Amino acid sequence: MNWTEILTFSRGPLLHVALMIFIVGMSYRLVRVLLLGWERDRVPNKGSKIWGVILNYLKGLVVLPFIPWVRRTFRNNALTFIAGGLFHLSLFLVLAFGTAHILVWKSLCGISWKSLPTPVVAFFSATGIISLIVLLINRLTHPVLKMLTKLPVWINWVMVFLPMVTGFIMARHLWFRYEVIFSLHLISVSLLLIWIPLGRISHFLFYFFSKTIHGAQAGKRAIMP
Amino acid sequence: MKTQSAINTYLKETGGWVASQLEACTRCGICAEACHFYQALGNPEYAPIWKLEPLRRAYEQRFTIAGKLKLALGLEKKLTDADLEHWSKIVYEACTVCNKCAHVCPMGIELGPLIHEVRAGMAAAGVVPGDLAEATEKQRTVGSPLGVTDEMWRERIDWISDEWEVDIPVDKAGAESLMVFTSIELMKFPDNLAAIAKILNQAGENWTVSSTGREVVNFGYFEADEELTKLFMYRVFKAAEDLGVKKIIISECGHAYDAFRWTAHNIMKVPAGVKIVHITEYIHELWKTGRIKLKEGAFDAEIITFHDSCKIQRRGGIIRQPREILKLLAPTRFKEMTPNKEQSMCCGGGGGVISIKEADANRYAVFEMKLEQMQDIQAQAVCMVCSNCRLQFVDSLAHFNSTIKVHGLAEMVAKALV
Repeated sequence: MNWTEILTFSRGPLLHVALMIFIVGMSYRLVRVLLLGWERDRVPNKGSKIWGVILNYLKGLVVLPFIPWVRRTFRNNALTFIAGGLFHLSLFLVLAFGTAHILVWKSLCGISWKSLPTPVVAFFSATGIISLIVLLINRLTHPVLKMLTKLPVWINWVMVFLPMVTGFIMARHLWFRYEVIFSLHLISVSLLLIWIPLGRISHFLFYFFSKTIHGAQAGKRAIMP
Repeated sequence: MKTQSAINTYLKETGGWVASQLEACTRCGICAEACHFYQALGNPEYAPIWKLEPLRRAYEQRFTIAGKLKLALGLEKKLTDADLEHWSKIVYEACTVCNKCAHVCPMGIELGPLIHEVRAGMAAAGVVPGDLAEATEKQRTVGSPLGVTDEMWRERIDWISDEWEVDIPVDKAGAESLMVFTSIELMKFPDNLAAIAKILNQAGENWTVSSTGREVVNFGYFEADEELTKLFMYRVFKAAEDLGVKKIIISECGHAYDAFRWTAHNIMKVPAGVKIVHITEYIHELWKTGRIKLKEGAFDAEIITFHDSCKIQRRGGIIRQPREILKLLAPTRFKEMTPNKEQSMCCGGGGGVISIKEADANRYAVFEMKLEQMQDIQAQAVCMVCSNCRLQFVDSLAHFNSTIKVHGLAEMVAKALV
């Protein structure tokens, strides 16, 4: 099998199978949690649950990412907040506004939009990679993180790092032949897609549960979430 | 055997509410810095998310493919009795279930209530610190965690009534409100009990205490033993029903307020039409509606601050009311500590911690940080609305030879009545 064949395989059957595993796996995770049952909350409210939820999302998505130092815990976790924040921002921008990714979205959903200028995407993909390395160093040195990090969390890191770094190399045309690095990028993306339903990268789905629950609990008690 | 009881409890308690939050954790570790026990003592095992380990393992190994895989590959082990003993010390002696961690978690995971679930497993397995278990047993058998018998209770109420010259109606049929105190107030802060009686009398409240529903503290709730939690609340609800009251007023006790106001309706039958209020919000209402009048500036002689109790302020929402009263009583000398309100730091003695002798070093270490917060604003006095916090403050201030005075809000209000 030469690299051209590997590329054909990885952009075709492999990616499609990985995508199916991702969708089925995440659906299973979601349904599994939903089916565990939800008891009705019969406690009389003091404030509005819905207002608490809205406030909590506004705070989490609009306020805190831009002025994180208003959090008192920022001081002792500056590295996690900054590197974590930059990582998520970079990931979102590159995935949503990188030219090549927009083509993927178009082939998947049929719609496309304007991409960010290449140097901006390059800057953010480098930022994402650096942030991830900073987070790794933090995880290797912080006593709490060292204790919390077991094998699956290390695998998470590798699984996210590989697509980012291969994507960066490919977009910058560095070192490898196009079909080699494109294949490696697609293989790593496929591995990531297969891995997500098994690990904690799936938090992007459960975020909406925990964030809603916390907001509702705060709203019900008439406190600021 | 012990472990199986704990696991069964975890699996029983794990609905979507618990599971979705366990699934949301990214292992970022930010919650550690919110925990006063971790901050004070630096033990990584005090990170709130680590306190959930027994629950997480039971859940994942039973309900998730990843958990089953980890078990099969030997990456993770099943829970053992030794694990339970280990985590029992962590969740009972280094956690006040104050839920500050939930406010810093980027995912908003409600760590406090989840740690309560971890405690529930420990309670089912009988792996509870001896002192806490003993106090709970006293409440079950005698009716009070401090061992106050019916006779002692009656004598003490009579004594307070005589000593403070205040009328305390007992088992008064036709009363509108049932006032339920803590044994801590009865035995250690009788001035607070007398103060509340004085305020209610002055307001013309048609109230009573009950000789059968006489204890508001709930050690079953500290342990997280649901059956005992219900039993201890049932005694009060039964008294409320028998007396036909329309309102139960919870005294200055945080965990009791959390249990009665925010938990009871979900785990048991609460008498229909009976409202549950905390004494602080009720005093505020009495003042706002003009049923009591307070002397402005009655406590303006020294710098006074307010300690936010985890269960009454952060988890209870009674944040504005005590501040409004304090700003009236000490208009120029009231100062806030930092952090405060929802973000405040817990006293270190709540959640049953103060009743466990072995946890003394932990709670003193936490209190040292609280003391620094008070010293930063040169506070000469501190006010609070939870007897459990007050006990921790009185004991710890003496431990650190501090001269800062401790007040219950009701006691201050009673002195400022005009």
